[in-house]
Amino acid sequence: MNFIRQFVALLRMSLAGTRQRLGSVLTIIIGVSCAVGVLVSMLAMGSGARRQVLAGAHEDRVVVNSLGASGIQSSIPRNEADTVRDLPGIRKGKDGKPMVEFQSVVPIEARRRVTGRRIFFPLVGVTDNPSASDPELHLTEGQVFRPGLHELIASRPCLRQFSGFEIGDERPIGGVDWTVVGHFEQGDSQQCVVLADAEILMSTLHSNSYTQATATLQTPADYAVLRRALESNPTLHLEVRHEREAREEGIRQLNGLLNFAAYFVGSIMAVGATLGAVNSLYTIIDSRRREIATLRALGFGSAPVAAAILCESMVLALPGALLGVLLARALFHNMAVSPFGFSFLLDVTPRLAVIGVLWALAMGLLGGLLPALRAARVPVTTALRAT
Amino acid sequence: MKYLPLIWSGLWRKPGRTVLIFLQVSVAFALFGVLQGLKTGVAHAVAAARADLLIVHSRLSLIMQPLPYGLLEQIRTVPGVKVAVPVELTQGTYQKPDQGVGVVALTPEADWPAAFTFTIAPQYLAAFRKSRTAMLVRDLTAQKYGWKVGDRIPLKLPVAQQNGSTDWAFDVVGTFTDSDIGGGRYIVIVSYPYLDEARLTGKGTLNHFNVAITDPKLAPQVADAIDARFANSSHETKTESLREMAQASMQAIGDFDFLIRAVVGAVLVALLFATTAMMVQSIHERTPELAVVKTLGFSDRAVFLLVLAEALSVFLSGAVCGLVLATLALPVAARFVLGLSMPGAVIVIGLALGALVAVISAAVPAALAARLRVASALAGHRAA
Repeated sequence: MNFIRQFVALLRMSLAGTRQRLGSVLTIIIGVSCAVGVLVSMLAMGSGARRQVLAGAHEDRVVVNSLGASGIQSSIPRNEADTVRDLPGIRKGKDGKPMVEFQSVVPIEARRRVTGRRIFFPLVGVTDNPSASDPELHLTEGQVFRPGLHELIASRPCLRQFSGFEIGDERPIGGVDWTVVGHFEQGDSQQCVVLADAEILMSTLHSNSYTQATATLQTPADYAVLRRALESNPTLHLEVRHEREAREEGIRQLNGLLNFAAYFVGSIMAVGATLGAVNSLYTIIDSRRREIATLRALGFGSAPVAAAILCESMVLALPGALLGVLLARALFHNMAVSPFGFSFLLDVTPRLAVIGVLWALAMGLLGGLLPALRAARVPVTTALRAT
Repeated sequence: MKYLPLIWSGLWRKPGRTVLIFLQVSVAFALFGVLQGLKTGVAHAVAAARADLLIVHSRLSLIMQPLPYGLLEQIRTVPGVKVAVPVELTQGTYQKPDQGVGVVALTPEADWPAAFTFTIAPQYLAAFRKSRTAMLVRDLTAQKYGWKVGDRIPLKLPVAQQNGSTDWAFDVVGTFTDSDIGGGRYIVIVSYPYLDEARLTGKGTLNHFNVAITDPKLAPQVADAIDARFANSSHETKTESLREMAQASMQAIGDFDFLIRAVVGAVLVALLFATTAMMVQSIHERTPELAVVKTLGFSDRAVFLLVLAEALSVFLSGAVCGLVLATLALPVAARFVLGLSMPGAVIVIGLALGALVAVISAAVPAALAARLRVASALAGHRAA
């Protein structure tokens, strides 16, 4: 009880004197805010990429691809398509047909509008009318491609990033000119995606297999039914995953890389900021030697003195953390970036803000340890005698 | 020279503070070194990529758009082509789904290594040609999975065999090294004729052709000549040199330029602020000493330079220490990010930046020290 009373009194005293030690205090705050700001902004890349990929993933939708393959490596032969349609657990649409959509994904090379550098975007051949099968997708201009014709529709980001996607523009793919007939938006996705009719795309490219299929389940619980049916069918070399899981898989590597970079740079900056905090706290304690010695002489224990310094260091780190998070949010939230050719918006989420604050508290705690020890060990008599 | 002891004693007046500033500067410049090393390392890697090695792939896309095997004969007849080798790429796994192996299937024709960046011992080459199920393993792959010559390795490939199975097995007959930084890290080489014969679908197609040419200077002409052969066919090709491809893939990292600049900027701002505050504090504490120095006849300018020299020595030694740390750390970091290196230019820029930050952060405290009025300072008034 005594410890707590002394601790509270000491902490209030230290914080009341903040204004006289503005230089040292600002050093801690700015150091911490730079470290936290950089960490949070870099982590915002990983969370932004994830948000974009997982947006529009439905609990009751599953992705079917060939065993062991993911992304564009997967292939489902055309003659297996009907078998997949008839699998159990798949919901029937209004027209009584199973809600299974096959996609044929082809990475297409394009040049950046401004820099002329090469980048890939997916050309997706779909078997259903996309504005009917995907509620997230809506046309902003033009019309949907007509089945059987060499027509494309492109997402808005294509228009912004690349040349040759205006309505009426023709793009040569597989020796044939394809006409851009419409533009669409898909949530707030920043990725350039081009859609076409799967059958005409596959016949142009002499391909006889789809890349993957997306199916809607009757209920999410039917996942197990569908999975068992696929596994027990020896003629199909396919596997099924939840849409969310499949998409997460696709982004795992990029996300790992982005988060590794964020924590690597964030840690080094945190070490620098902690060193700065140690220095500032030492200065603060040195300027308060006599004050601390007086308190000790009055009967304050060394444990509350040390605890108060430790707590002060963490309290000073907090405004730094908040400043860093606010700066990251103000400067970088919803900024469009495209590392490794994948475009998305940065996303400074509340979760990242919490990570930033915890990071700052850790810096304050570590930075306060040595200074707190020094404060606890101030020799009372010599400190009081010193001028 | 005679001022050195004065600077030295000024530095060690509060050893703890000096050491902490030194460490802070070191950490900042270590980060600077690693980030800049990443940027310049990329440029060096591009320059080192071979310009005389052409890749012929589908015009549509570099990946996953198959070309027919039959193009090979036509490519061979293009003037300037020395060796043309068909290559099929696929991604397999060993034992666990997360243990990836990049599989390069190629036709072991005479002199095929000339069209690759691999270095392979002659006895391994001979052994590879002899057996259909032979597999050459990159040194890194062999290390990672502990494979030895003579082992029979089961691999799961996304390619079905005639009987529908996706389990394949190959015999390790040798190892090789790869000088290309853009290629996969854990790769193996297997025989294309065997793979193509044994697979169920996609027979007679492949990913790209590797072409070695007689004269590197002719690369653009040979590339255009090859593409011209297949223009307006159903399999239009795009031929690029390895260097062009390295340029393209490394430009993706160019998007990080802004980020690197922002991080380095934040580091320097934090550093600047911390050191300025420390130096001002230090000058305050040393007011009586500086007054004595001035009484002894040091001019304002000399005192100014004295404080500046102190800051410079801490910053430059800290910057050197940080850059050395970064140089030591790069080989470790290069395991995660390929192509890292630390060219001399980064070190020079780093030291210049160190000096700049030292001068800026010491300017205010040094001016305070220089403007000190002796009488009031000796009387115990602090510099303000």
